[in-house]
Amino acid sequence: MKTKEVNFSLNHLFILILILSSLSIGHTKTVFAYDEHSGQAIEPVMTAPQSEGAKIVSAFEYEPIEFTPPKPERVVLDNGMILYLLEDHELPLFKIAAHFRTGAIYEPEEKAGLASLVGSVMRRGGTKSRTPEQMNEELEFIAASVETGISRESGSASLSTMKKDIDKGLEVFADVLMNPAFPEDMIRKEKDEILEDIRRENDTPRKIIFREFRKIMYKADHPYSRKIIGYKDTVENITRDDMVAFHKKYFRPNNVIMGISGDFDTQEILEKLKDVFADWEKTEIDFPEVPAVEKKFQRSINYIYKDVNQASVVFGHIAINRLNKDYFPIKIMNFILGGGSFTSRIPSKVRSDEGLAYSAYSGFHTPRDLGFFFASCQTKSESTVKAINFALDEVRKIREEYVGDDELELAKDTYINQFIFKFTSSASIVGQMVGIEYEGLPLDYLDTYVENIEVITKEDIARVAKEYLHPDDIKLLVIGDMEQFDKPLSEFGEVNTIELKSEQE
Amino acid sequence: MKKTRMKIFIISAVLFFCTNSFGQKLALDVREHTLDNGIKLLMLEKHDVPIVSLRIVYKVGSVNEHPGITGASHLFEHMMFKGTEIFGTKDYDSEKPLLAKEDELISGITAEKSKGNETDSKKLERLQEELEGVWKTQKDLIVKDEMWSIYLKNGATGLNASTGNDATYYYCNLPSNRLELWAFMESDRMKNLVLREFYSERDVVMEERRMRTENSPFGLLIEQLNAATFTAHPYSWPVIGWMSDIQNMKKADVSEYFEQYYSPNNAVIVVVGDINPDEVIDLIEKHFGDIERQPAPPEVTTVEPEQIGERRVYVEYDANPVLSIAYHKPAIGHPDQYVFDVIEAILSTGRTSRLYKSLIEEKRIAVMAHAYGGASKYADTFIFFSSPRHPHTAEEVEEAIYEELEKLKTTPVTDHELQKIKNQLEAGFVRSLESASGLASEISSYEAIAGWRYINTLVERTVAVTPEDIMRVANKYFKKTNRTVAILVNNKKKGKEAAHENKGS
Repeated sequence: MKTKEVNFSLNHLFILILILSSLSIGHTKTVFAYDEHSGQAIEPVMTAPQSEGAKIVSAFEYEPIEFTPPKPERVVLDNGMILYLLEDHELPLFKIAAHFRTGAIYEPEEKAGLASLVGSVMRRGGTKSRTPEQMNEELEFIAASVETGISRESGSASLSTMKKDIDKGLEVFADVLMNPAFPEDMIRKEKDEILEDIRRENDTPRKIIFREFRKIMYKADHPYSRKIIGYKDTVENITRDDMVAFHKKYFRPNNVIMGISGDFDTQEILEKLKDVFADWEKTEIDFPEVPAVEKKFQRSINYIYKDVNQASVVFGHIAINRLNKDYFPIKIMNFILGGGSFTSRIPSKVRSDEGLAYSAYSGFHTPRDLGFFFASCQTKSESTVKAINFALDEVRKIREEYVGDDELELAKDTYINQFIFKFTSSASIVGQMVGIEYEGLPLDYLDTYVENIEVITKEDIARVAKEYLHPDDIKLLVIGDMEQFDKPLSEFGEVNTIELKSEQE
Repeated sequence: MKKTRMKIFIISAVLFFCTNSFGQKLALDVREHTLDNGIKLLMLEKHDVPIVSLRIVYKVGSVNEHPGITGASHLFEHMMFKGTEIFGTKDYDSEKPLLAKEDELISGITAEKSKGNETDSKKLERLQEELEGVWKTQKDLIVKDEMWSIYLKNGATGLNASTGNDATYYYCNLPSNRLELWAFMESDRMKNLVLREFYSERDVVMEERRMRTENSPFGLLIEQLNAATFTAHPYSWPVIGWMSDIQNMKKADVSEYFEQYYSPNNAVIVVVGDINPDEVIDLIEKHFGDIERQPAPPEVTTVEPEQIGERRVYVEYDANPVLSIAYHKPAIGHPDQYVFDVIEAILSTGRTSRLYKSLIEEKRIAVMAHAYGGASKYADTFIFFSSPRHPHTAEEVEEAIYEELEKLKTTPVTDHELQKIKNQLEAGFVRSLESASGLASEISSYEAIAGWRYINTLVERTVAVTPEDIMRVANKYFKKTNRTVAILVNNKKKGKEAAHENKGS
């Protein structure tokens, strides 16, 4: 196999992070996110410390940290495999984490669960030359692992071995990707286990809530509305032929991005990869068309009865995809609203002030097509409507008033100063690059990350809050026992009651 | 400041040696320093990234509680985030009398309520109104979740705390130049904690209990299993506490906890990362050195009497069946613990483990089966969990587990199986060195129950376990008279009644 090794330049700017040379709440505060390219330094707005303790620590001075994160090398092999490699010789370890462009979004509705089943049985069922028992023994004896899986919008495969077992590990890894056997008995076993998981789906509110919320959020014919593991009938519809065909279609060298890290020599490992994947052929993939998510806002109030003493609440609406131009200001806005743990508004109000929930938060789910904004909490039945109103008020408020300078500063400083933790291991560094390229983000994403956060203003927050939050058009879902609620859900509009039915009965 | 990578090289060098040769120790080069007041400081250098993982451990957990105040350790852990005399308040001098008034009103309300039929409802109403007034005034003085915000602003990740049976842990990872901030804030918490927002936090914990236990079939089952397994020892009650105890908890109860257990001589500080140990010692001495040693906290003297007959518990709930089995076993420090570690691996680690092979792959009667035999400070249990696959019953799975235990008693484990576990242990140790945060957690959890040095002989002692040891231990402990079985039985109607009875006020 011939290769064309492109030493792709990531256009990596030299990242120099000077982590806060003094504490942020202080008047002497200087946050410099230096972009060598533009030479800009941004100084955010100051806010005065409110407590004596904050005053004291604001005077602390810290030595600046200089840190240049190691840069993975990007290589494209002749067969189309995209590799990110980062040598790390500190420990005798080796890892690969791969992303395949596939997912449950590409399976037909009547065979829902196909992608997930392929992802499991690929590994569990062994290969054409290795029985499952042989493979398990071979790997576990050397404390290595090979795992595969397919989720809604991606497939994954991983290898972890000690340095001394790289050859054996690569051999099994390549075998699983290229030659899975999909034996009938293993397919049956996996299906039976999935059916049991389905049977257990209504056992706790936690398992019910986002499954049902997706159904409310997306139209029934869209794959985003479906369960990845499938349904009783659709799982039974899946044949071995379907699985073989699905695997054959998507598990192709030109459809994978691999992150490789650990104690290896790049040239050597490239040769080994070419060798083990020599028979893997590049093939054009015709991806099925996935219907676009309908961007429509319409209020609906939904209720599921379950005999529990605590209501599970979620509300939200269609929002953004991962590549949205406003991703960063939206992230910061959500940090202030409900995504930044205790200090953000929804948990601060619902949990800390009122003691109504242990868990209360908001988030933006950002898949390839439009995802959703949501806020969620669990509260005792008797405070259900009260808690929903508190959370909803916060969503309204952030659209109507500018956020405080201190809130914005806290959110931005948190993101900027946590940035260094994106580089704590070679595996996480290559893993991020794989993710960035897979998502279709610019490859200099990390180089511009700090700057993208720095430039956000409270006007930006107000703008994205107005544009992407629609508190009057929420879809609300509550699981619990309405008889015990403080007020009926009809407070919010006409209630649509959803019956929980076990698929097995 | 450039730091050498020397230390981690030394660790790696040792490892290379031992994974490739024989009998070398797999050990952590932890530096220990004890302050005059008894605080133990444990440090491990790891210079690859300029971060530091910090833990502070207080050797107090639910095991130190008694009936009536179960859950006090955990509730106290929540209070540790509410601030001190200088953090979380704009003016402690103004707040102090309000806190005293709050206590006075609460005891007045409690006294009035306890009068039963004699309760003066007018008076009760007046007291409650007054209390609301105090809270309202206090609110203007509180700086919400300020310690949490300061940590986040400075880039903290993994910010959290957890309470267990034996110890309470506070977690924080920071950029390495932020160490002094941590030392200042943590020492201040040890010196000047203020129990503010106590009553709303108590409500939060009640919501936590509803979420984790009352509306979770698994949580409910484990609670009942432990309650039946331990008749005398405090491991019998849940870490989160019984609902009525949480509901009636007084500030004085947890305040007593603080006095007795949050003393320097009961605390351990763990620092792993890009540090200079001499500088760390100076810093910790500077901030924690002036805290006065307290009388040693009381020992737990209750010993669980030998179990003299099988106990069986059925939990009727609206969910699919789950099986759990517990066998009493000795505390950490007993040589048999190493044998239990090996038994756990044989039964439950990976796809080649005996429970997976037998229950899931061969008999196909379960979808999940785990054995857990981790170590605790006091004698605890070796536990099994399993979810049967319909229509197979929990009792069928139970029988199949006993068959596996019989095999352990009568047939020596093969050398191949033992060698595999040895390989996995050694590889696991090397892998653990990748993460500063993981190492800090490991060091702190072993220090809390046995002393961190336990880690340095763990692999060696575990791989020394022989097939005869396993047969001896299996025969000694896996006896019918030594076990408690708890089974979750699907009962829709009972689930309903139970939920109503559990409803908090």
